[in-house]
Amino acid sequence: MSRDPLILGHVVGDVLDPFARSVSLGVTYKNRLVINGSEFKPSAVVDKPLVQVGGDDLRIFYTLVMVDPDAPNPSDPTLREYLHWLVTDIPATTNASFVNCDVGDTGREIVCYECPRPASGIHRVVLVLLRQIGRETVFTPEMRHNFSTRRFAMEHYLVPVAATYYNCQREAGTGGRRFIRDDRC
Amino acid sequence: MWSLEQPDNGHKNKSGTNRNSNSGNNRVLSSSSSSRSSPSSNTSILIPQTPRRRTMEEVWKDITLSTFHQERPITPLDHHIYHHHHHANSSPSFKGMILQDFLTGPLNRPLPVSQTVVEQLPLPPHPSPALPETALSLNSGLEFQYLGPDATNSHSNSSSSGHNASFISSAFSSVAVGPPSPTGLFSLCSKKRLQENPAIGVDRHHKRMIKNRESAARSRARKQAYTNELELEISNLKEENAKLKKQYEELRLAIGNSLPKRNPLRRSTTAPF
Repeated sequence: MSRDPLILGHVVGDVLDPFARSVSLGVTYKNRLVINGSEFKPSAVVDKPLVQVGGDDLRIFYTLVMVDPDAPNPSDPTLREYLHWLVTDIPATTNASFVNCDVGDTGREIVCYECPRPASGIHRVVLVLLRQIGRETVFTPEMRHNFSTRRFAMEHYLVPVAATYYNCQREAGTGGRRFIRDDRC
Repeated sequence: MWSLEQPDNGHKNKSGTNRNSNSGNNRVLSSSSSSRSSPSSNTSILIPQTPRRRTMEEVWKDITLSTFHQERPITPLDHHIYHHHHHANSSPSFKGMILQDFLTGPLNRPLPVSQTVVEQLPLPPHPSPALPETALSLNSGLEFQYLGPDATNSHSNSSSSGHNASFISSAFSSVAVGPPSPTGLFSLCSKKRLQENPAIGVDRHHKRMIKNRESAARSRARKQAYTNELELEISNLKEENAKLKKQYEELRLAIGNSLPKRNPLRRSTTAPF
């Protein structure tokens, strides 16, 4: 299915393996819903978004991972992936669940939200919802950079059930001459 | 031609002149600053490979012993050294010449060793032998140290060494040594840029083109992905809309049948009498 935006945007290649979507995932920044491939400015994503998780079975718990696979530069992603946010033990609900670290019942934020601040290039910011096998099975990773969603999922027996992504670039936009041209060869 | 070479680079060339130049280099440095850092750090610029260093030290010892005592064993080795020593007297300009010559011959790749540079810290080890030819310049000096542990870990990883090479060559694509002093490096690099523009310019242009292509491909993919997503959304919404409309109609019909027809306005007795 090459028309899938996740495949076309190479999210499936770089971050995840092909998977079947089974749970609805809605990410909203300031009343604007994230559509795959839409553009968000850093000023729009400063605060953590409202995340709504679907799912049928209330006993199943999910983990939400937010990574930037294009860190520090999409043409030279040496820090792939950079972990921005990690929330675990999100209970499934049929309607909506508000992922908020203040509310204890709706997910534990084990890596606090860090606003994406791309220095150069246009970065993809991917949010992945993974199904846990149980509760409190996920542990905090050591570092944010060089994170691997695949490896993380394998280590904690997680299965991806939903994903979305948006693009983010510098506030002033990319392109044009800058003092330090770090994307020059 | 006199060239400053590492014993490591000499490994590539595999000729006696390499050793000669090394020892000659050692001689030059020792003559100017004998109390400076050890000969191994003087000459081992990029790849401090211990077995090579030992060999070089041995050679250096031989030379110093022989030259300081004003004895010249007649060997081709020493003959070269003497020749080089003559050149080395005019070290600053000669070093400049060496640098330029060296840079115009990218395949030979001897490393320039300026005194200021030599006194700096030795570089972190390079992952692959091909890399010493590429630059460790001012910009990437610090970053290279950061990449150092990563690079050494992924020793055999070609992609990471490719990253290193592109990253390193991305800065100046000139051969510099270690985290050099800024002024020294700038002077080196400015000379290099003037001299090697024709040769490295094409290379840089080529790399730039490749990066641009990749960037363009990503841009196209991004656009295509977004367009597809919007189209999918449209079709989803249209479907949902049609479904909801149908539902509404059905419900209306169902309710309409069950409820009696709306009573027309009728006069009813409301008066109390």
